[in-house]
Amino acid sequence: MSEAPPLIDARHISKTFGAVHALTDVSITLAPGEVHSVIGENGAGKSTLMGILCGRIRPTQGTLLVNGAEVHFHSPQDAQAHGIAIAPQEINLVPHLTVAENILLGAHRGSAAHIDWKATLAEATRHLHEVDDGVDPRARVSQLSRAQQQLVQIARAAATRARVIIFDEPTATLTYRETDKLMGYIRRMTAEGRSAFYISHRLDEVRELSHRITALRDGAPVGCIGPEEASRERMVTMMAGRPARPNIAAPRDLSTRPPVLEVRNLTREHEFQDISFTLRKGEILGLSGLIGSGRTELAKCIFGLTRAQSGKVLLDGEETRFRSPLDAIGSGLAYLPEERKAEGIFPLLSIAENTALPSLDRFTGALRMRNREMLDEVGKLARQLKAKFSSLGDPISSLSGGNQQKFIIARWLMREARVLIMDEPTRGIDVNAKQEIQSVLRRLTDERGLSIVLISSEMEELFDVADRILVMHEGRVKGVKNRSEATQEGLLELAMS
Amino acid sequence: MMQDTDFTTATRVRQNGSARALLRRFFRWEASGILIALAILFAALALATDNFLSAYNMSVVARQAAFVGLVALGQTLVLLVGGIDLSVGAAAGLSAIVGSIALTQWGLNPFLIIPFTMGFGFALGALNGMLVAGLRLNPFIVTLATWEIFAGMTLVITQGYPIRPLGAPFTWFGQGDLLGVPLPVAIFALVALVLVWVLAQTRFGRNIFAVGGNRDAAVLAGIRVRRVEFLAYGLAGMLAALAGILYASRMDAGQPSVGEGWLMGAITAAILGGTSLRGGQGSIVGTVLGALLLAVLANGTVLMNVSGFWQRVIVGGVVLVAVLVDLLRRRD
Repeated sequence: MSEAPPLIDARHISKTFGAVHALTDVSITLAPGEVHSVIGENGAGKSTLMGILCGRIRPTQGTLLVNGAEVHFHSPQDAQAHGIAIAPQEINLVPHLTVAENILLGAHRGSAAHIDWKATLAEATRHLHEVDDGVDPRARVSQLSRAQQQLVQIARAAATRARVIIFDEPTATLTYRETDKLMGYIRRMTAEGRSAFYISHRLDEVRELSHRITALRDGAPVGCIGPEEASRERMVTMMAGRPARPNIAAPRDLSTRPPVLEVRNLTREHEFQDISFTLRKGEILGLSGLIGSGRTELAKCIFGLTRAQSGKVLLDGEETRFRSPLDAIGSGLAYLPEERKAEGIFPLLSIAENTALPSLDRFTGALRMRNREMLDEVGKLARQLKAKFSSLGDPISSLSGGNQQKFIIARWLMREARVLIMDEPTRGIDVNAKQEIQSVLRRLTDERGLSIVLISSEMEELFDVADRILVMHEGRVKGVKNRSEATQEGLLELAMS
Repeated sequence: MMQDTDFTTATRVRQNGSARALLRRFFRWEASGILIALAILFAALALATDNFLSAYNMSVVARQAAFVGLVALGQTLVLLVGGIDLSVGAAAGLSAIVGSIALTQWGLNPFLIIPFTMGFGFALGALNGMLVAGLRLNPFIVTLATWEIFAGMTLVITQGYPIRPLGAPFTWFGQGDLLGVPLPVAIFALVALVLVWVLAQTRFGRNIFAVGGNRDAAVLAGIRVRRVEFLAYGLAGMLAALAGILYASRMDAGQPSVGEGWLMGAITAAILGGTSLRGGQGSIVGTVLGALLLAVLANGTVLMNVSGFWQRVIVGGVVLVAVLVDLLRRRD
């Protein structure tokens, strides 16, 4: 591998946005058949670097060589002409077109005057099934889950037959089954001599897949190591500049605590069947399962967004009939959605308002809102949750994902919620912020007696914080295990059985 | 600083009260551009003409701004929740006719005509609200249809003939003044002040920004999203009706043509004032300034002896410039 000229050779790349140094003197190479991972906390410059490599962003300084020849990309089309494609983290598909059309968007088979739909479908299906054969190429993209859309996007990059594919957080929305398939695809692709840049927060994947791992911190390279030296601790230390703290919470015995939320034989056709479980006071119940297992649908149903056909939900032993989220919130339930940007925050509003909106009734005076009191209360919660901000009047979109999530948690603490249903609360959040949120959750259950249903695709997260783990598969409960008796393999087996 | 989108303003000013920070905050305010444009236009017209600043001319400008301005205030509410109401002009016309008939034919007390007409206008807006918020239909299509229906109903009822005279004391509302301020202008100012307060200090007002800024998040946060949307449309209909009946009172006639052309003025005023068509962003103060700018432009073309035909070309150009300035401001 070392004799061949590097496929990509980026030298001394710097990028500034106004006064902000997004990248400072970064050099990185990619050999044929290599997977080179780039790790770093959010804001470390990974996306900027990849944006430069795929022609979306122009560097302020530095040179870029492809196959030994200097290139200047003016657009992603230029990069594609040199065989570089990206599977971006954000979904940018055309929702009302089919999967097949999206994969070959702008590259339909046939002549200019006549599209050969059969050939187009066949070609798209081939690329799609190389990545995952579980997605229907004839389905409309809008009908797919977020994870499936991510896979379609990867298939679109694959369809360009590029020699280099940049994977930007491809697995953030995927569960282990789909992740496995993607890993398989990347291995096959590199075996053919094609290469990949791989960006992920999931360090186990990074170690397993990569030939080399480069860490960025604050826009500058920290080091480049091989997979054999890439222990989890080493990688986290490189990214954060300090060693990781162990985060595994001590086991608790909560079996004598009173039940708070009881779900009995809840069924909603085509989504989930016969779901029963009990959430005790002060407990964190992990909810694990593949995409399409009905986890999110179940959460939304309990919260009153959809109606169940049969079964019941009990709160403190009393049956509930929530007709809307409003009823659920009134009873002390809160749902923190998976799509934080799309369903969680109000990007134009201030941090304070984002936090206080559901509780505004407490601050309405005769003529004015009692803003002072509101700010004090939001500030107090922010300190409790160790959230970082410069002013509570800033828009919430100025915060990092982890801090946004803390204020959404604060939103419901302010409303005195007793049960939180959290859907992938730490997705797309960097390692240290993730650990902080996890310890916040543990502390809230201990100190406030808060009860939490924690939906997560990350086994590691469930093993770190959940008291019990419930496994769902294809809309059914496959089993519940105390964390102390559960193993990752055991849960996987349970899910597949 | 007058800003009703952000109730934490006061605290922020206290935190960084330097002149530079204030200036930066001023330019971040979505209505800053229009305030500057209005000031320049004012200065230019004051220099170029003899009578622009005369008390009489100022009252003409203010009155002109008041009618379209009232409609624009309602439109602003609808735009803020992420909708649009194309039927406001027609609703103003139909309400003015119904109000005029109530006065002349049903013998309703002249002092009850305005509340009655506003109630009728609210009902028209509520129809939009039910279809848009209740059934989740597309507001553009719904209000395009109700625009036609309201305008058609006006013609069906009047057969194209004005209803006149309305007579004193009713004409006082449109023609009279209060301490030298024309009554429609005073009413416009009062409504604007009330709305500034509603948007900044009430739960309904704050929820408007939440619903328009992110509807899905608002549902999950337990906000009564449909009620907020419904009320916005209802209020838009109500304010359009208020403008319509005041105009009829001023003209001493319920003319079938009342409200024609107000739709474009209302949307333009709101947009010039920094209200976003995507919802969640905008302000009442901005809309008031937008309505004033349109009125000054119209007045200026007359005073400068520019052909009236050019007026629409100029207004269109101003809107494009405003959009471009806004683009530059965002890039900043």
